[in-house]
Amino acid sequence: MTRRSPVVAALLLLVTAVSAAAQTRPSRPSTSRSVEIGGYVMVGQFSFAASESFDAILGTTSGAIFGGGATVGLPFGGLFVDLGAWQYSNSGERALVLDGQVFPLGIPLDVTIVPIEISAGWKFRMRKLPKLIPYVAGGYTSFGYQETSSFAGSGEDVDDRFGGYHLRGGAEFKVTRWLGVAGEFAWTTVPDAIGSGGVSQAFNEHDLGGTSFRARLTVGR
Amino acid sequence: MTVLKAVRGVGLMAIVGAGLLTATGAGQQLPAAARLLVQDTSLPAIDRGLRDQDAPRAARSRDEADRLRAEAADGLPYVRGSVIVKFKADATAGGIMAATRQVAGGTVDRSGWANFDIIDIPDTADPEAAAAMLRARPDVEYAQPRYRNYAMSKPNDPLYANQWNFPAIDMERAWDIQPGGTSNIIVAVLDSGVAFHSGTFRYNSRFAYRMVPGGPIYPALGIVDVPFAAAPELGTSGSTRFVSPRDFIWDDAYPVDLDSHGTHVTGTVGQLTNNSLGGAGMAYNVRIMPVKIIQGLWDEIFSSPNEGTDDVVALGIRYAADNGAKVINLSIGRAEGGAAPVVTDALRYAVGKGVFVAVASGNTRASGNQPNRLAQPAPDINGMVAVGAVGRTLESTYYSTSGSFVELSAPGGDQRAGGASAGILQQTLDLDLLETYERPVSQYGPPRADAFAYYYFQGTSMATPHVAGFAALLMQQGVTSPAAVEAAMKQFATDKGAAGRDDLFGYGLINPRATLRGLGLAR
Repeated sequence: MTRRSPVVAALLLLVTAVSAAAQTRPSRPSTSRSVEIGGYVMVGQFSFAASESFDAILGTTSGAIFGGGATVGLPFGGLFVDLGAWQYSNSGERALVLDGQVFPLGIPLDVTIVPIEISAGWKFRMRKLPKLIPYVAGGYTSFGYQETSSFAGSGEDVDDRFGGYHLRGGAEFKVTRWLGVAGEFAWTTVPDAIGSGGVSQAFNEHDLGGTSFRARLTVGR
Repeated sequence: MTVLKAVRGVGLMAIVGAGLLTATGAGQQLPAAARLLVQDTSLPAIDRGLRDQDAPRAARSRDEADRLRAEAADGLPYVRGSVIVKFKADATAGGIMAATRQVAGGTVDRSGWANFDIIDIPDTADPEAAAAMLRARPDVEYAQPRYRNYAMSKPNDPLYANQWNFPAIDMERAWDIQPGGTSNIIVAVLDSGVAFHSGTFRYNSRFAYRMVPGGPIYPALGIVDVPFAAAPELGTSGSTRFVSPRDFIWDDAYPVDLDSHGTHVTGTVGQLTNNSLGGAGMAYNVRIMPVKIIQGLWDEIFSSPNEGTDDVVALGIRYAADNGAKVINLSIGRAEGGAAPVVTDALRYAVGKGVFVAVASGNTRASGNQPNRLAQPAPDINGMVAVGAVGRTLESTYYSTSGSFVELSAPGGDQRAGGASAGILQQTLDLDLLETYERPVSQYGPPRADAFAYYYFQGTSMATPHVAGFAALLMQQGVTSPAAVEAAMKQFATDKGAAGRDDLFGYGLINPRATLRGLGLAR
C-alpha cells in the first residue's frame, strides 16, 4: 500500500540537483529587502500518529504525499509566510476490532487527506554557505479528511475539515538563483479529529496528524 | 439407551394394563423401538401456502408438549432409571465400579460421541439424589439426572412482505453486504429434526394414548407408513444443501421432522431466498446440518428409542462440532430440573472447536420466569449467546425469559400484542395433516410429513435462529472465532430497555447490517 516511488524520485531529484549545483557557479544569496515570491512542489512521506487505526484499515501506518504552495519572503530579515497544500490518498477495507484483534471485512474503503497549511517562519542566511538556507516555520493546518466506503448509507461517509497545528524545519539549497531544492521534517497535530467512532475509537487514537519528511523543488527567490 | 425404553415401557404399560388397545399388523413386525425406511423417495412435497386464517391453536407449553409424557413418565423433568456421570481422567476402573455400586447402579454405557457415561440406577431411585451422591465422590467431575429438553417455541395462529422480522433488523441492507453466506459455512440445527429428506418410513404405533388428562383415548395405529418430503423452501432431498444429518432420537442418519418445530427454525436460519417462492431466511446460502435431539409427539407415539434428555443434547452438540459445523442453533432447552453440566461441557467443547452457539433463553416469563437451564452458562462461555425475543414493536415479549444470562435479543414474535401475523413466518410441515391427534378420535390417523404450509410461530425458539444465521454471515465475512462473533454482535447491538446491558434484552437487539459493515477509520 505504501507508495514509496515518489519519495525516491524526490530524493533522486534532490541529489541530482545538489550534484548539478556543485558543477555550476554558485549564485549569490539574495540580500533583497523587497518582497520575494516563490512557489514549490513537493513529495514526501507522512507517518500517521494514529498508527494502529491506519494500519487496521489501510494496512500501513504511512504513505506518500504530494503537494505544492507559494512562499512570500517579507522585507524583514528572514521572515516568510507560506501557503501550501498536500494530498494523501489510499484504499483499504473496513474492519472489526474485537478484543484488540483486527478482522478485515473486505468492504472497500478510500481515505483522502488534503491539509492546507498556513505557516510563518524564518530563513537563516549563512555567509559561509550562502546557497544553503535553513529555515523553521510553524502555523495552522486546516486538515481535510474524507473517508468513503461501499454500502454507506446517508451520512455514513466522512467529509470533514479539522483545525490543527504544525511545526516544520529544513534547509533549502539554491541550485540556481531561481531554482532550489529543499528537504524538511514536519510535525502536525490535529487533535480530536478522530477517536469518536470507527477503529480510532477502539484504539483510543484521537490525533489525525503525524510526522513527515518532504522534498521540495522551489522556484523563485 | 435400553434404560430409556424400560422407563417408557413402565409408563405405557399403565395404559395397556387398563385395557387399552395395542395393535400390530401380522407379518409387519418392527422391533419395539425402531423404524424402517421402506422407500427412499417420495412424491413431490405438497405446498399448501400461507396459513394465516386458521383457527387459533393452543400455545405450546411445557405441560401440553409433555402431555403424553405426563401419562407415560409421571411428569418428572428427568428420566428415571439412569444418571449422567463424567469421571475424572484419573478415575480407576475400581473407582468407577465403586461409584456404580454406591448408587446401586448397573451398566455403564458410553456413546461414540460422548466423554461421559450413563449409569443405570434402579427405577425406584431418585436420580437427583443419586447424582448428588456421585458428585460428592473425588473421582467424579460431574453427575446429573437425564433431564428432558423441549422445543422453545409457542406455535399459535397460524411470505417476504409478511416477514416483518427481517426489515426490523435491517436485513435487506445486511444482505447487500453479505448475501446469505456460502456453502463454506455449515449451520447445525439441533432440534426436532428437519424436513430434509423425501421417502417413506414405516413406524409402529403400539400403544393407545390419552392426549390430554381426562380426554378421549386415541387408539394404537399399528404399523403405519409415513411419507416424508424435503421442505421445498429448504432444499432438494439428497442435495448438498444438507450435510452430515444425524438422528439421536432414532439412532440413524435420517433426522426427519415429525414435529414442525425444527423445520420452522431451520427456515429462519436458511430458507431459500430470491427464488420467487415463499419467504426468506437469514443465511440462505449456507449448508444445513440437521441433527435431531428432541422428540416430537409422533416420535413418542412411535416409541422412539431415545428422547431429548441432556445426554442426547450433549451428543448432538459434540457430533455437530466434530462434523464441521461452524454454528449451532439450539432452540431447545428446559426450565425444570437443575444445571446441565453434561451440556455445558459439550458446549465448551464445541466452542473450543470454533463453533458459535446460539441458544434460546426460554419462554417462561409469564409463568415463573425460570431460565432455560441450557442457556444459563452463556455469560461464561465466549462464543455462546443466550437469545431473548422481541415482538414486532421491538419491545420485549410477554414470554421471553429474562435474567442475567440473557445476552442478545432478536425477533421472536409476540402474537398476544400484535395478532397472528406478529409471529415469525416460515414454511414448515402442514399441521393439519401432521397433527392428526388434534382431531376427534374418529378422524385420528397416521401423519403426513410431505405437505407444507407457512405458519407464524412465536418464541425464543424463533429468535435464536436469527442469531445463528447472523453468526453464519459474520463467519462468512471473516470473523471466524466464536468469541469474536459474540463480541461483534454485542458491540453493535442496538441498546434496548435500560441503558447498557439489562436482563430483558441483554446487550440489545442484534444489528446485522451495522456489524457486517464494521468500522471505518473515523466512523
